[in-house]
Amino acid sequence: MKNIFVIFKKEIDRVFKDKRLVLTLFILPGLFIFLIYTFIGNALVNMQEGDITEIAIINPTDTFESIYTNAETNNESLENIRVIEIAESKINEYKSLIDDEEWNLLIVFPTNIEEYDPLTDENPEVTFYSNPKDAAIALGRFRTYLLAYDEHLKSQEFGDISYIDFNFEESEISEREMIGTVMSSLLPMLVIMFLFSGAMSIGPESIAGEKERNTISTLLITPIKRSELAIGKVLSLSALSLLSSISSFIGIILSLPTLLNLEDQSLSVFAINDYLLILVVLFSTIFVIVGVVSIVSAYARSLKEAQTYIAPIYILTIIVSITSMFSSGANTNVYVYLIPIYNAVQSLVGIMTFTDGIGIFVLVTTLANLTYLIIFILILNKMFKSEQIMFSK
Amino acid sequence: MEAKIKVDNISKTFTLSKKQMKINKTNEKRKVAVNGLSFQAYPGEIYGLLGPNGAGKTTTLRCISTLIKPDKGDIFVNNFSAINQANDVRRTIGFLTSELKLEEFFTPNYMFDFFAKLHGLNSEVTKKRKIDLFTKFGIDSFKEVKISDLSTGMRQKVQLVISIVHDPEIIIFDEPTNGLDIITGKIVTDFLIELKERGKTIIVSTHIFSLVEKICDRVGIIIDGKLIYDDVMDKVHETHGHIEDLFFDLAEVSTS
Repeated sequence: MKNIFVIFKKEIDRVFKDKRLVLTLFILPGLFIFLIYTFIGNALVNMQEGDITEIAIINPTDTFESIYTNAETNNESLENIRVIEIAESKINEYKSLIDDEEWNLLIVFPTNIEEYDPLTDENPEVTFYSNPKDAAIALGRFRTYLLAYDEHLKSQEFGDISYIDFNFEESEISEREMIGTVMSSLLPMLVIMFLFSGAMSIGPESIAGEKERNTISTLLITPIKRSELAIGKVLSLSALSLLSSISSFIGIILSLPTLLNLEDQSLSVFAINDYLLILVVLFSTIFVIVGVVSIVSAYARSLKEAQTYIAPIYILTIIVSITSMFSSGANTNVYVYLIPIYNAVQSLVGIMTFTDGIGIFVLVTTLANLTYLIIFILILNKMFKSEQIMFSK
Repeated sequence: MEAKIKVDNISKTFTLSKKQMKINKTNEKRKVAVNGLSFQAYPGEIYGLLGPNGAGKTTTLRCISTLIKPDKGDIFVNNFSAINQANDVRRTIGFLTSELKLEEFFTPNYMFDFFAKLHGLNSEVTKKRKIDLFTKFGIDSFKEVKISDLSTGMRQKVQLVISIVHDPEIIIFDEPTNGLDIITGKIVTDFLIELKERGKTIIVSTHIFSLVEKICDRVGIIIDGKLIYDDVMDKVHETHGHIEDLFFDLAEVSTS
């Protein structure tokens, strides 16, 4: 088994001793993704600025109205907001509408906010209840108007004494689900794509390339067992592919708030165990992808041939991962989680949409993928033993 | 004296790809590379496998080195079967052929350590062995240069020392002086003689008569996959004077 580590280290050294490979495999993917998605996100924000934001206010004041009207007029976005005054009795009705994503914002001022005495009364509380979906830009502006209103009350009327206690509430259920749903439609596809492209950029070179250059024959006449060679190759390629995809993943994570027009803390809707489950799915999936890439590379007679064979498999994988964009939640049929790649997509969708019992599905996915890994290593072992495959010209 | 290598009636047939059929200008899908070949090699001797291109020399050596398996027969190396105990055979032999390459990205130093580890050598033994071999073949001066940046002669020296990194009892060299300049060629042949004097069992394949005359103690002549002569060089000298005369006599008989 020591030889597995020797092969593993050689493959890792092959990449990490080459600055160009380090740059192209680990730095550029993340950087490019960050730049591209940030650019796309900014473009989407510009498009979204034309959307109408619906705002309900309880006990509005003339001063606050003049603050936001002037600012929105200056911003040329007055026509993009619809503000209505509602009675205090309708608070829960509008909160429900916001939870159901049918309304954007509710601002609750206490009665006669400007008549409070800061020396004797407790600070008045303004509640700001919102649904950030599709209206994050306008919501951000209204928060600013509230702060400006507070400044106005402090300086104009009551000296430099803090006046309003703000209470920013967000429709958490709605926001959590919204972020999860949006992410689950996009992330599984991106993650699978990057895992595969990471494996594709290293795997064929490491196996088909070695076959083509006959360097693998030099290894085959040493006392290393074919199984050790197969495991060493698969593990090292998995580690490298995972590192490469982590670079892409960091790029996605950093650019997501801009891409999806979410608050910076949007990723905090996921708990640590959600992230752990995502990692478990990624780890087990990379083994399947590397296994497939390794077998195809071992079968191919040259690097070019391997890349030709892998291309349709890559397209098929993308087609499978695109299914997450059209599903409203994770599949609850446990047998689905035995299908390679599709199980990873469904698991990721399930984690991100907070599906009940997703732990079981992730477990099935992981066990299925580890079984595939063992099968792939056995096949690779057989292939390394086959002179027809290893020495075919 | 017991033979270290016993090649016992091996045969090997290859299936040709369309491309290979075109190159060989044949319609036959199968090619018999080696046909019922047997010979033995002893410690402290250099056995020369002599034959023209395509005679089956390299296939025979690839079978002995366990890179491929014979369809029929078996080979015993140090009493280990090349078919059933391939890994034991691999521990015992050092195989050098121009078709085996080293990864060009790495340096000779890195590759030496890598193969030493695969052969299970500890760092102390590896270090000593590296000093000995790198000094003998003048590799020290370019040990940290990537293999891709080395000349053909330098690469062959590196391949040679790496093939014997584990100080094997049995050494199999396929066309050992092919492509070498005269100085490196002499270093290699002198080294083979030195190894023989240290009791190693050596098989070299070649089509160069002078090399056989110079270093071999025993010779096998192979034509069209069949071994048509196998004896000690003293006998060759006694009966035919020179190996070249013997070869052409046999080749004439074989082709007629």
